[in-house]
Amino acid sequence: MRELATESSVLTVDTAPPAPVLAPPPADTPATARPRPGSPPRRVLRWALIAVVAIVMLTPLYLLVLNAFKDQQDILASPFGFSGGLTVDHLVQAWSNPRFNIAKGYAITILFVVLVNVFSVFLAGPVAYVIARSTRRRFRVLMLFFLAGTFIPSQVLVIPVVYVLKTLGLMGTIPGYVMFETTLTLPFSIFLYAGYIRTVPTDIDQAAAIDGCGRYRTFWQIVFPLMRPVVATMVILNTFSVWNDFVNPQTILGPSSGLYTVTTGIYAAVGQYQTDYTVVFPTLLLAIAPLLVFFVIMQRHIISGLTAGSTKG
Amino acid sequence: MNRRGGLATAAMVLPATVLYTVMLIVPVGLAIYLSLTDWDGYSADPAFVGGENYGEVFADPQFQQAAFVTLLAALAGTVAMNLLGLGFAVLVSRTSRVNSALRMVLFYPHVLSALVVGFLWGAILGTNGAINSFLTSRGAEVLPFLSDPDWATVTLIAVLVWAGFGVNTVLYVAGLQTVPQSLLEAARIDGASKWQTFRHVTLPAIAPVVTVNLVLSLITLLKTYDLVVSLTAGGPAGQTQTLAYLILWNSFHDGRLGFGSAQSVVLMVVTAALALIVTKLRRKADQGAAA
Repeated sequence: MRELATESSVLTVDTAPPAPVLAPPPADTPATARPRPGSPPRRVLRWALIAVVAIVMLTPLYLLVLNAFKDQQDILASPFGFSGGLTVDHLVQAWSNPRFNIAKGYAITILFVVLVNVFSVFLAGPVAYVIARSTRRRFRVLMLFFLAGTFIPSQVLVIPVVYVLKTLGLMGTIPGYVMFETTLTLPFSIFLYAGYIRTVPTDIDQAAAIDGCGRYRTFWQIVFPLMRPVVATMVILNTFSVWNDFVNPQTILGPSSGLYTVTTGIYAAVGQYQTDYTVVFPTLLLAIAPLLVFFVIMQRHIISGLTAGSTKG
Repeated sequence: MNRRGGLATAAMVLPATVLYTVMLIVPVGLAIYLSLTDWDGYSADPAFVGGENYGEVFADPQFQQAAFVTLLAALAGTVAMNLLGLGFAVLVSRTSRVNSALRMVLFYPHVLSALVVGFLWGAILGTNGAINSFLTSRGAEVLPFLSDPDWATVTLIAVLVWAGFGVNTVLYVAGLQTVPQSLLEAARIDGASKWQTFRHVTLPAIAPVVTVNLVLSLITLLKTYDLVVSLTAGGPAGQTQTLAYLILWNSFHDGRLGFGSAQSVVLMVVTAALALIVTKLRRKADQGAAA
């Protein structure tokens, strides 16, 4: 998702004003509010299409949930239904799998998500503020310098980053991993934050300055509290990119560190045992269930955050 | 600016700038440097080999196959994801409870990581997977979704599209909702058919969204890695390896990080070139929308 957001941002620069991240809806009634039911055959076609796509999208999820409660024989004999009884044995086994401690994987991943988000805001916020409030050339150049980073696909960086981290003695460590993940969030965060801060009137900065407030305090105490929507967008984007990242934790942390995120843990638990469906289905179900519940509850915010991040940028 | 102000500014600017430079800008330069060496991942002083790695990259049949699979997946996937994405966006763009549930159904694979998606589809399409178990129980032949190279390539692309087009749908819905109602109304009054309205009013109005979607899909697909790991593991016989998969395999499995760097520099150049070409081709349409 990080790439999704960053690349698009570059492309929309000249077509859409980057400033307000959560812009008010257009004054015009949205095209979609029009009540036009369509002719009966058209409606039938529409519903048929929707039914087909819903089946194609949801069947894997159905198989995952159902087969997580079945024995291998039963899975092979009747994958879409069940002939034997249902059991929670394999779920219990997956939960206590020595190759992947799911609860620990969740804890570590959540820790990484929190650290990256906190560092990202603390690093990107102040720079964005200086860039947005300065008319000096050097800060415009700095913005371009950061923007260049949105063009670089992170896969290309994995090898040289290993080199850098080894040189710094941070290879295979949490600080090394968090530093790199945080860095990947910086270009787009700074771009979005700076665009947003420009929409905040400078009067309040001046008022704060007159009251004897330093620049640093002005940002954190006066401007930052106004940035809630744009920070929320960025947190959603970063959470997804850190949560779903597989390459970076796999290479930087590596199996030898014993630090498994949800994705690298799934790989360790399932990778070698793909034909044992009593491992595959229960492990995948346990690994994704909390995230799916979170998604269903938060889906409006998540989808609108992602949309805002990639189209308004 | 007084001295204290200058210090405060430096304290605000420097941490991010330094981190960004060390972890992102320096590595890009390093990637190019390492691609000219035989670095194995351990030695502190890799030997300089000039353009040797690049010569070997282009002569390598594995690289050619991976480049073919990657480009095929990127181009076919981009077309499919955007046709499906735009089509379903039109179907579900009206605001209603059913439609927002449908958007969620189309989008949810994105919440799962590509790794999970690959393992799940592997369990469905494998030789003993759900579909083949079902077929054999009915006395039918097993379908080689993942065991035949050509089938596996098509399967890989299909799963990529399955997992990804919901994102395009959601972005297109957001685009469609910004098309001014007055324009559509005017077209309708002028007697335009639904298709004509879509072709000549809606599509030009959302041109920038189309460009963003095309470039996004293209760039995302060019980096396909996780799904190859979990769905096909590059097989059968290395026929479904993508460039990203090959790069990481050569680098971290075979310990040839210099060689892998050369491949990743090639991938970086190809990605940038394709993104630029699409943007350039779409420029006219984009400007039409802005006018």
